[in-house]
Amino acid sequence: MDKPSDQELLAARVRLPQHIVHRGFVAETVVLNLRTGKYHGLNPTAGRMLEALEQAPSVGSVVPELASEYGLEQAQIERDLIELCAGLLERGLIEIVDEPAGG
Amino acid sequence: MSPPAAEQPGGHLRERPRRHGAFGLTLDVDALIQIPGLGAAEASGDADPPTRIELDPQELARRWEQARAGWRRLGALGASEHPYLTVDFAERAGYLLWAEGCGRVLISADGRQLLCDPVRDRADWTTILWAQALPFAATLRGLEVLHAAGVVTGAGAVLLAGEPGAGKSSLAAALVRRGAGLLGDDALALQQRAGELVAHPSAGLLHLRPAEEARLSTSERSALGAPTELQGKWRYTRAVAGPAPLAALLLLERSAREPVLERLDAVDPFDLLASTFNLSIRTPERLRRQLDVVTALAAGGHVYRLRVQPGTDATRLAALVDEQLRVASA
Repeated sequence: MDKPSDQELLAARVRLPQHIVHRGFVAETVVLNLRTGKYHGLNPTAGRMLEALEQAPSVGSVVPELASEYGLEQAQIERDLIELCAGLLERGLIEIVDEPAGG
Repeated sequence: MSPPAAEQPGGHLRERPRRHGAFGLTLDVDALIQIPGLGAAEASGDADPPTRIELDPQELARRWEQARAGWRRLGALGASEHPYLTVDFAERAGYLLWAEGCGRVLISADGRQLLCDPVRDRADWTTILWAQALPFAATLRGLEVLHAAGVVTGAGAVLLAGEPGAGKSSLAAALVRRGAGLLGDDALALQQRAGELVAHPSAGLLHLRPAEEARLSTSERSALGAPTELQGKWRYTRAVAGPAPLAALLLLERSAREPVLERLDAVDPFDLLASTFNLSIRTPERLRRQLDVVTALAAGGHVYRLRVQPGTDATRLAALVDEQLRVASA
């Protein structure tokens, strides 16, 4: 599957595959791939973003909430979310549920 | 109640297995096997059948030979050409552990049976059982085993983790001399039970490095238990304490500074994951359980860092730990 564009990513809904589990700790979130036994660590901000994305209808839908929570510009949150999602997709830690709308 | 004696070919009755407990398991131990320091089986009412430990080299060899096609090596310790411990796996046989000077143990995939093929004329061959095979079986049977020493104080179970040489056994021995009960000095099983973490004893054995042992007075040595010398090292055997709720996990760290005990509000989960005893069993079920135990450890406010200067007197350190844990739990 080709890498989605930034706009496609923002429009997409993502989820953690069943074989990916995560647990929150004070200073980081640990994400574990049960198939490979490989652990990944997310800093607290990335962990919070992952938590928000799990229940969200689309990646872009969480931008206003997170921007307000962190007191940052929405454009900054968008860039951070896109970078995070691209990294998680590359590592197989999230998957896109719906194909993004055409265009 | 122990299982009945078994009829052997030729009409000879084999003495019935003896029932013990260790690492949270109920064990039926072949009467021909003497494992030092094992405690009584827990009266937990657990419906799970006991783990059987049997002396049967022929059966071990037969099973492994039949199943060995497609075996793979899961791990080895020591030099690559001459390891001193190996762990192999074959789907239809289970896990075959081999330790230099001890022999082989074949653990069934469900952890419910251990077949032993010991090295002849080595009274201490059972080291492979209490040091490796039983912790392995406990992990297969749903407990999480940490590489840690542990004692039971008035507050509960106090576990001591850290890199080799950090002083875990010495500190455990010093706490025992202050009246703590011994859980074990190398590996301990943790279990999540009714919302709390419970630490289970291993074998009632304390191993001291020669330099540490030499510092003890006669009365201090006798307070540790019955001594046995094995190849220049001293081992003390004593009764183990029963399982206890976890009060504290101390991560021992070598430091140039005076000893300091600090509660960790932000625990590095990878420090806890690194304290695991078993790196070979990596099924999804085990990995998930391990992460859940680590999460419970971190969330429970149980984890402390203990910075220890090399050469610190263990007696003094034990007094500090006792006092500071008492204050922390008040």
